[in-house]
Amino acid sequence: MIGAHAGDVAELYALGALDEVQRRRVDAHLRTCAQCRTLVGAAERDVAFVASMEPRHDPPPQLEAKIDAALAARAPWPLPLAIAAAIVIGLMPAAYLWSVNRALHATVLAQTAAMQRLAAGPHRHADFQPMQPSPPAEVMYGSDGSWYLIVVHDARKALAVAWMHDGERTTLGYAAPNGSVAMLYLPKSHRMDRLALMDGDRIVAQATLSWGKSSPARPAVRSG
Amino acid sequence: MGFAAHERWAFGEAYRRNAALLYSAAYNVLGNADEANDCVADAFARLWRSPHPYSADRGNLRSFLVVCVRNEALSRRRRQTRRSRAEERLAGLTPPEAQTPQLADPIERDRVRRALFALSEDQRAAIELAYYEGKTHTEIAAELHEPLGTIKSRIKLGLRKLASVLESLRPQEAGPQ
Repeated sequence: MIGAHAGDVAELYALGALDEVQRRRVDAHLRTCAQCRTLVGAAERDVAFVASMEPRHDPPPQLEAKIDAALAARAPWPLPLAIAAAIVIGLMPAAYLWSVNRALHATVLAQTAAMQRLAAGPHRHADFQPMQPSPPAEVMYGSDGSWYLIVVHDARKALAVAWMHDGERTTLGYAAPNGSVAMLYLPKSHRMDRLALMDGDRIVAQATLSWGKSSPARPAVRSG
Repeated sequence: MGFAAHERWAFGEAYRRNAALLYSAAYNVLGNADEANDCVADAFARLWRSPHPYSADRGNLRSFLVVCVRNEALSRRRRQTRRSRAEERLAGLTPPEAQTPQLADPIERDRVRRALFALSEDQRAAIELAYYEGKTHTEIAAELHEPLGTIKSRIKLGLRKLASVLESLRPQEAGPQ
């Protein structure tokens, strides 16, 4: 094999006179070079012709069944498809872990932000009043309306939190259980007067938030 | 084309159409029915596992299959020879010359032998060692004490001439196409 092409070893290849390493090298080259495939094909025609002039022997009948059995094994996937499948299979767990990680990261950030708000200064508080059987819940919120933390105790499932205003209902998010407590931290820039806990379309509890000076503010939560 | 598209039915059909030629190609190298049987099946299994073993610009499918089966047979024979030599060395015996299988039907075989005598002596020696004894070109160069390039050239010209002479001796019913 001179240079990149296989033309000068076409006859050796067809006769089986190359060693295994050289043969594999030619095989690899033939996959990409139509010119050399033609040259090797011509040499193969000569070798096959010589072989066809040799004595004939009848194959045993069981050989066909043996070949059928070999062909029953799954055919290889075409290379591009195999690469695509490998990428998809490789990426799926990574994508899943990334999405789980992102959700956990967002939860941790929200809880950290809520804890910082609670520790930073006095805040207001209101309990949710049950309208239907529902777990006890409360809302803590900043005096300037810049944040809200909704906490549902003994939570069994996620409940939506909605802002009730002007006869309308705007869903703000979901308090999803983590252990026996569900929390939702809402950084907002405006004051909300009434919040509702929703189980599907049903309002199960409502909280009325007070903004007047008469409303008692709770002191900041101190650690230690 | 079904075979180039790697369709299972086409592989089965390719075997059925060429069964006797392929089996004979293996048998004439190995000289043993069981070995020839395994050899043809292994050659097809290997092709089936390869993603793109054949394309139409390679030429005749039958020729391609014959060469694949012959090469599988030659590889088996080389492995057998190596194994035998190792066993003989272990047994402390002097290794005999590599054995060429005893093949039946010398009259038919004579047709190729006769054609070989139309080649020059140098070409004939190189082709016989490659075709009948299954030696690699480096082994042939060492055995004939000639450079690799010379052996390549003798095999190239010798193979073309052998096919041409056989074509002129070809009986009406035979042929690879």
